[in-house]
Amino acid sequence: MDIFEIVRAIAVIVLGASGTWLLLPHRHGRIKPARSTLVGVVLSGIALICLATLWKPPTTFLAGAFFYLFALSSLAGAVLTITSRNPVYSALWFAAVVLSTAGLFLLSGAQFLAAGTIIVYAGAIIVTFLFVIMLAQKEGRATYDRMARSPGRATATCFLLFWSLLYALIALKTPPGLKPDDATDSRLARGSNLLIAKGIAPNTPEASVVHRALSPTNRLPDIDPGTTALGRHVAGLGGTLYTDHLVTVELVGALLFAALIGAIAIATPKPPIRPVQSNPPPPAS
Amino acid sequence: MNVACDWAFPLVWAQQSELDSIPWLKWIIVLAVVFFGIFPGIVAYTVWGERKVAARFQDRIGPNRVGPLGLLQPIADAIKLITKEDLVPRSADRWVHLIAPVLILVSAFLVLPVIPFGVGLAAVNPPSGLIYLIAVSSLSALGIFLAGWSSRNKYSLLGAMRAVAQLVSYEVPQVLSIVPIILWAGSLSMVTIFDKQVLYGWFLFSPPGMLAFVTLTIANIAEVNRTPFDLPEAESEIIAGYHTEYSGMRFGLFFLAEYLSVFAVSCLGTAIFLGGGTLPWPLTGEPVVTLGGGETLFAMLLLNLPLIGIFMAKVSLYIFLMFWIRATLPRLRVDQLMAFAWKFMVPLCIINIFISAVWYECVIRPSKPNYLLGWGVTLPLVVVSIIGVLALYRSSMKAEPVELTTGSRRRSVVRSVS
Repeated sequence: MDIFEIVRAIAVIVLGASGTWLLLPHRHGRIKPARSTLVGVVLSGIALICLATLWKPPTTFLAGAFFYLFALSSLAGAVLTITSRNPVYSALWFAAVVLSTAGLFLLSGAQFLAAGTIIVYAGAIIVTFLFVIMLAQKEGRATYDRMARSPGRATATCFLLFWSLLYALIALKTPPGLKPDDATDSRLARGSNLLIAKGIAPNTPEASVVHRALSPTNRLPDIDPGTTALGRHVAGLGGTLYTDHLVTVELVGALLFAALIGAIAIATPKPPIRPVQSNPPPPAS
Repeated sequence: MNVACDWAFPLVWAQQSELDSIPWLKWIIVLAVVFFGIFPGIVAYTVWGERKVAARFQDRIGPNRVGPLGLLQPIADAIKLITKEDLVPRSADRWVHLIAPVLILVSAFLVLPVIPFGVGLAAVNPPSGLIYLIAVSSLSALGIFLAGWSSRNKYSLLGAMRAVAQLVSYEVPQVLSIVPIILWAGSLSMVTIFDKQVLYGWFLFSPPGMLAFVTLTIANIAEVNRTPFDLPEAESEIIAGYHTEYSGMRFGLFFLAEYLSVFAVSCLGTAIFLGGGTLPWPLTGEPVVTLGGGETLFAMLLLNLPLIGIFMAKVSLYIFLMFWIRATLPRLRVDQLMAFAWKFMVPLCIINIFISAVWYECVIRPSKPNYLLGWGVTLPLVVVSIIGVLALYRSSMKAEPVELTTGSRRRSVVRSVS
């Protein structure tokens, strides 16, 4: 890992965080002096330039073109989501972000994830958002568009997340979004290392089990020669989910089930209590 | 929002490594001829067919002035739509108003590339084809909502809200009734599902398969907003629903998208339950078994022409079934619609998944399929579950006066919004 890159990444985080904090509207929508806004713009600009020096162009042309198309449209959509005055437009731009993200998933070969994102977000959640916005929204601009409740904490959280993302990207040294091809990275434990250490011969059932258990999902087709081009995506995802992440899947399932029961318990209409009633109300059934 | 249009390309690109010059040529032909020529043509003559069929059901003649049997009527209609003035209401949201019909049309078109019309005739064969299909068809709800919202018209908004509630509700039984097929074929790829049916016969021919086919058909009719589920565009209540404010070719785009999705869901039902272009049971997998295997262009043509013919015949019958239902049944009420989806269809589909697992264990998994055992076990299960769920549904509809109040409350909420 290059120490110079780490320094630049830290500069991106620190400058970007302070610049964003200066740019955010503060409590009660007080007007801020123009100087602090200017300083914020300058700091954010320097942070963006630092970020640009960390960027590496992806390899092939066509893949790169589509990568930029989706990445730029999702970034632009995200910016427009939070800057639109009209909440319906915000929801629509969020739909654009979701569709572009699905395109990025598709470029990385994660077809199931792409389709799942579309079904869950674009098909159901955004429509629910639009319903809620239409039923609950008052006319005109809302106060929360002009003030930030706790800009410091929000900026800190966002930039901590951004830092972990940036660090992971630098550590893995991969071009963004394309082929996480980390076969040469010696720090990650490989199935072959374990095989050599334990003295298991290749081409035995034990060896294939070890390979499967230790490999990332996108390497499954390389290991199982039997999987066809058709079977690998969904079958590989399902295999990983129900072997490596079985406990997580079960926990999430239990959590969702509990949430479902809770939703039904909350939503069940209760019999109205009538104040003027001579005889006592019947016990709740 | 134009990102939706770019969706098909990475899918093509993802298979680019497997493509050389001849598949590229095939792609250009598929795009130019099939997607811009044949599918709109099919839509035009579906409309003509619907007008003729509906006319016969109502003891009329139907279009008979333009050309023999009125066969040129769709062309006259298209010319009329194109030359009409394109109006945008002054208070409407101009860009969203423009994008909404395009989004619906894109969603209807994107369903078609994964349908295996014949051997090697699916335009793309992604390994998660069925999930892709569900994903792109769920985009139409967004387009319908945008159309209704951007028109700034209370009838449009009411229609859009009805449509979205209906689409989101009926998507659940639609997906759940596809699950048995995924279980039996062991794949989400449409081509693999077709191949399995060539080997083992139609997936329709089992009790859980028949039940799933019926529920899929009902959910399909609801998904394309046709009678008895045509509340979103009920003329007698809310004019034309979400496309009230559209005129000229923009209305034409809605029209095209609606009939294109009728065609698309019929193709879906045919491809996953009715064995694509193959013949039924005594002749399992027939045109493919006899004519398949050749690699030359002539052999491919010889194989695919009968396949496409049989496929289209099945699709026409399926579409005719939709017309027939439309001419027969009256429209549902809003509360009946929702209760039917959530209290009848969804439980039945979930039970059917378990029954289809029984069928899988009896017939598909063993090396020697035991059809007698499969029918003997699953047929009573299917009958009992239908009767049980129906009885529960009936009793819940009868016992609860709450049902009416929720219905009227939903309506009053909608009214206060508009």
